[in-house]
Amino acid sequence: MLRLLSSIYKELLVLIRDRAGLAILFIMPLVLILIMTVIQDATFRTVKEVNISMILVNNDKDSLGEAISKGLYASEFFQIVEEINGENIDEETAKELIARGDYKIGIIIPERATEAIRGNVNALINKSFKSFNIPGVKKRTKKSTIDVTIYIDPATSNSFKNMVMSSLKEFTSQLEIEMFFKNFSEAMAQLMPGQKPIKFESFETIRYKEVYASTTENEILPNSVQHNVPAWTMFAMFFIVLPLAGNIIKERDDGSAFRLKTMPGSFVMIMFSKIFVFLGVAFLQFILMLMVGVYIMPALGLPQLEIGPHKIALGVMALSSGLAATGYGVAIGTIATTHEQAATFGAVSIIIFAALGGIWVPVYVMPHTIRIISQFSPLHWGLNGFYDIFLRGGDLMVVLAEAGKLLTFFVIMLGVAIVYNNYNKTK
Amino acid sequence: MQENQHIIELKYLTKYYKGSNVPAIDNINLNIDKGEIYGLLGPNGAGKTTTISILCGLFGPTSGNVFIDGMEFQHSAEKIKSIIGVVPQEIALYPSLTARENLTFFGHLYGLKGKHLKSRINECLELFGLEKNANRRIKTFSGGMKRRINLIAGILHKPKIIYLDEPTVGIDVQSRKVILEHLKNINKEGTTIIYTSHYMEEAENFCSKVAIIDKGNILTEGKPKELIDGKGEYTDLESLFLNITGRALRDE
Repeated sequence: MLRLLSSIYKELLVLIRDRAGLAILFIMPLVLILIMTVIQDATFRTVKEVNISMILVNNDKDSLGEAISKGLYASEFFQIVEEINGENIDEETAKELIARGDYKIGIIIPERATEAIRGNVNALINKSFKSFNIPGVKKRTKKSTIDVTIYIDPATSNSFKNMVMSSLKEFTSQLEIEMFFKNFSEAMAQLMPGQKPIKFESFETIRYKEVYASTTENEILPNSVQHNVPAWTMFAMFFIVLPLAGNIIKERDDGSAFRLKTMPGSFVMIMFSKIFVFLGVAFLQFILMLMVGVYIMPALGLPQLEIGPHKIALGVMALSSGLAATGYGVAIGTIATTHEQAATFGAVSIIIFAALGGIWVPVYVMPHTIRIISQFSPLHWGLNGFYDIFLRGGDLMVVLAEAGKLLTFFVIMLGVAIVYNNYNKTK
Repeated sequence: MQENQHIIELKYLTKYYKGSNVPAIDNINLNIDKGEIYGLLGPNGAGKTTTISILCGLFGPTSGNVFIDGMEFQHSAEKIKSIIGVVPQEIALYPSLTARENLTFFGHLYGLKGKHLKSRINECLELFGLEKNANRRIKTFSGGMKRRINLIAGILHKPKIIYLDEPTVGIDVQSRKVILEHLKNINKEGTTIIYTSHYMEEAENFCSKVAIIDKGNILTEGKPKELIDGKGEYTDLESLFLNITGRALRDE
């Protein structure tokens, strides 16, 4: 016990006396979490908040042009630009401005677009009332198609493009229904004299209610902070691998490891002292990052992190993640022969684990094979556990499975280090 | 447990590193008596470090047996480690820790504690003229001071056997003199010293017995003076060494 305590004390002294290293250990994760949350906050805000500028060239000057224009202005999702320097924008200028990247999107409504819809509606009415020979209903049967052109900056995200397209389709459909209903009603009035044309009205019978599913009664509203703080905290905690592996390699390079191996006490005891100290660092990093979410992010205009009531579950997840990270660091430090190997392999593998774990892109949008592989990423387990707590209101029982996987990973990594160390004795 | 005066016995010791078909140690038999200052001398790549590594329990031999004070590593590794002290060629200390912090840590690993450890550290620091620098960090020490602390870390627990790997390399004459004098004194108290060096003159004066090894074999063994006189044609250990190991340059 004295040996273990003395080793822990020695590790603490070595860590504390490396002021620059200590600053990097604590400041860099905080900078990372702040920057990533601020950047990713934009993707979580509604398009309304983003208020993207959009060019509208309305050559129709009729019902469709009016409906689209009115709809776009009313939605407040976009800042509509129809003229520059007092002059109406034409299609060529719009195309040029978007190609230059000045605007993300431009909608060109062609001339006689409304007339085309009207013609198609009439054709349908004609077909329906063919046998009644109603006076006043125009005898037109030919269907026509007209293109509303949408110019898109290639750098525009697909989700934004899809949102614009679906809005336009909604405005067009609404206009077609209204036109059809109006013409249909007029035709019926012709068929049944005395019957007044009925005015179209929307029923809105079905309403859509959004409820965020939670395992408890506490509903936590998902926002950029609730998503990003756990994700980047997990990512930053795993970077403890680099200083820990570096510590092991340095000890080997300067001969201290040689001396330690010739002294009473096992390899496991020496590694446990390192794990204990670096686990403490990881846990402290975790607390600091949560404090940034609670106190600093609101000051930067971001939502405040809601920690929720399940603090024991949070502690268990933090410790499990910290152990997984330190175990991984011990394995890399034991196997790598140089600092360069450890730093490159450590950093790249964490980034791969993070990518597979869904830190950048949600796992559910990944290809099937990658989704299967992602189930083996410790960052995926950690992230899932933290999402259970931060987004789904999960308690200790909910996160036990993920915590168990992280602890198993820790045991396996420690086992790999021990086996490799023993193998080295037989070389 | 074997009861005899040999504190170290190597029996038919052979070591092949994985992937190599050339033995680093080739069927060595060697007995080192208690209280001896035994010099393992040889050019680079002769097998000195491999022998010392096996004697420290860093790894095992491919075949053969090693007895340390009658015990074998397979059965009594912790016991053996507690009676040996290793002074590596590298300054195996923590540069950001003070001399006292380093020695306290290594002392704890040897099971020393409390007042006993404190007084032993003070005693050693005083013996090697470092008592005034006890609370200075190692990284601020000169090369000679580092070597002395490096040595103290290996003898703090009063081991029965001390392994010294080039203990005086790269230091000034004064530090070398202090180190060798104190090692002689420690030896007089009954401690066996196993010593490797490339300084033949130092080995000739310091060691009670030497073995010149090359290519994993012991070429000759005995008291330095007897070895030199016995061959007749040599004036010192260096000329003997050069004659039996050759003058060709050696790489590791």
